[in-house]
Amino acid sequence: MATDAPGQRTFLALGGLLLAGLLVAFLLPKPVEHRTEGRIQVRLWHMWTAEWKTVVDEIVARFNRSQDKYEVIALSVPGLGGADTKFVLAVAGGDPPDVMAQWNPVIPSWVEAGLLQPLDAFMTPAEWAALRQEMYPVARKIGVYRDRLYGVTTGLNIWACFYLPAHFREAGLDPEAFPTSLEDLFEVGAKLDRFDGRNLTRMGFMPQLFGFNVTLFGHGFYDETKQEVTVFTPANLRALEVFAAEQARLGFDNVARFQAGINQLSFAAGWPFIGGHYSICLDGQWRVEQIARYAPELEYLTAPLPPPAGGRARAGFSNGNFMVIPVGAKCPDGAWEFIKFWSGIENPERAAEIYVMGGWLPLKPAIVQAPAYQAYLRKYPQFRTFVDLLSSEYIQVAAPVPYTSYLADRVTRANDMALQGLLSPEQALRELETEVRQEQLRRKEFGYVD
Amino acid sequence: MKRQLTGYAFISPWLVGFAVFALAPFLISIYLSFTRYNIVTEPVWIGLGNYRNLFLHDPLFWRALVVTLKYAAVAVPLGVVTGVGLALLLNLELRGIAVYRTLFFLPSIVPVVATSVVFLWILNPQIGLVNGLLKALGVIGPNWLGSPDWAFPSLVLMSLWSVGGSVIIYLAGLKDIPLSLYEAAMIDGAGPYHRMRHITLPLLTPVIFFNLVMGVIGAFQYFTQAYVIMNGTEGPNDSTLFYALYLFNRAWRYLDMGYASAMAWILFVVIIGITLFIFRSHRRWVHYGD
Repeated sequence: MATDAPGQRTFLALGGLLLAGLLVAFLLPKPVEHRTEGRIQVRLWHMWTAEWKTVVDEIVARFNRSQDKYEVIALSVPGLGGADTKFVLAVAGGDPPDVMAQWNPVIPSWVEAGLLQPLDAFMTPAEWAALRQEMYPVARKIGVYRDRLYGVTTGLNIWACFYLPAHFREAGLDPEAFPTSLEDLFEVGAKLDRFDGRNLTRMGFMPQLFGFNVTLFGHGFYDETKQEVTVFTPANLRALEVFAAEQARLGFDNVARFQAGINQLSFAAGWPFIGGHYSICLDGQWRVEQIARYAPELEYLTAPLPPPAGGRARAGFSNGNFMVIPVGAKCPDGAWEFIKFWSGIENPERAAEIYVMGGWLPLKPAIVQAPAYQAYLRKYPQFRTFVDLLSSEYIQVAAPVPYTSYLADRVTRANDMALQGLLSPEQALRELETEVRQEQLRRKEFGYVD
Repeated sequence: MKRQLTGYAFISPWLVGFAVFALAPFLISIYLSFTRYNIVTEPVWIGLGNYRNLFLHDPLFWRALVVTLKYAAVAVPLGVVTGVGLALLLNLELRGIAVYRTLFFLPSIVPVVATSVVFLWILNPQIGLVNGLLKALGVIGPNWLGSPDWAFPSLVLMSLWSVGGSVIIYLAGLKDIPLSLYEAAMIDGAGPYHRMRHITLPLLTPVIFFNLVMGVIGAFQYFTQAYVIMNGTEGPNDSTLFYALYLFNRAWRYLDMGYASAMAWILFVVIIGITLFIFRSHRRWVHYGD
């Protein structure tokens, strides 16, 4: 009997635990089922979280209110949680969402992997031709691959300069006369830098995102005319030399320390520009809405990033949000209805109300002309800088090739090497070219479609 | 026979799970390593192409292999030395020693992602705890995670954070050493150094051997910390391009499952080779007390 006692106690303990678990499971609230009788469900995956998820939920609610046929069920799948991986697995497993909102440059690789449906198939040829004509150049570059439409943009992002007039005045500069060349901008930036001994405490301006802004100097890493990846070109070399020289002025380590000490990736109130850590800062148009929300008293202005001597004006980079419909979607028609609703393909006036909710740039000019968008521009005049850039042919997107992620990773490495002075800009670009050519040869040898 | 069948029936959930989710993918990946495969469309046979390209034309493969070998060569011995050292300290009969043991063990059960995020702050060059302490001593700390010279050593130092798991095993090994051996040595006039050198360490070698093998296997699969800390990138100057990270990127970001499968098999062969080497060498330095 004595030997049984520990066994009995263990049994009782396990039984107690089981009972407690059942009790907790019984008491937990049941998940709310969204299903509305008689509606066909459309499953949407998106990567927005926090304040942005609230906006998406409101857009979905508006769509659902407008419908008597479909009901969109939205699921936030955060990007850092592996949304792309989950999507690929879901399509491979035959149970994908009906529609997914993306912002990574995945269209070429996903199309070549057979993951996406062409969206022009949901339109008549005439409708597709008309839409293609109407879309902003950058929306076309993002969504069209191999002459087919695979992604409809529902909110383009474009970068421009935000700057603080107070800092300009303090340095004896005229805030209304923003530099018109990159060289002048560097000069102004240097006047706005502030130090505490050796340590940088405020950054006037620092060119960043080499892979993005190389287009100020030429066509960057993709030649649209020849439809090929270009690495070692005089324009790219000059761009990297300029970026490296400007970094060397302050010292890579000094800049890295300064940036590590501020939450430069903050998407909300912690944005260092609001805190005055940058005098001139290159960022996206959504910041206009965030400044209004988190620092409504902040005096600031916006301007396009000026070109270098002999460079391209109104050039830059975009990585808009877009919607895709995967192969194997159970309700592609419902997904297409939702895409039309949000993007404004059919009803620009209604879509304008949606775009301004997130401070997004639209698919086509008709939406900008809509009353809601015009009202937004009157309310936030600094937003117009970004809208004006939409029509530029020089706003580039990630190279539309299936190995674009590989290319972006290696461009980042070349940039780091040159900026840290570990390689000269020429050596860094030469190494990059070797790596890219090697990858291209491999893909060609094994029959990848490029 | 019936008894055996009953036994197999009881373990059948595990057997089925193992066969379907481990053994089958393991075997299928051999075939996939000889193909061009993107997970959705049918694999296309390309023979030894992936292996040939990896060995002859992929500098990143070699860079990743070197980084990982370096990590295994530095972090594993460092982990063993630190683990044994801590275990010796925690083996002392002091007041409140159970609390210390718990404190040293706790970090090893904190999720890796949470630990990595905390270290992002601890090693921040401007507002981090480490550089703050160094500054108080008049030393300007390095840009730990942003510099090509310091990013790799930072991850090695971070690996010591979870050494508590192996400390517990070393501690169990220490408790297993018969006290009579120490008593006999003391009667023969052996001092603390000699007792450590000729009794403790030799009799602890089976446990060190176990932790060494597990540590090497773990080092070659090192991924999560580097992925979280470097935000999925290769780190400054590819200094934290670990093999498993490059494999992951090839598989999921570049959708090159065939290529990644070939990488996985090369990794498997490397791990098996090194493990066999350690096993073959163990007769020379592992003492089982018989």
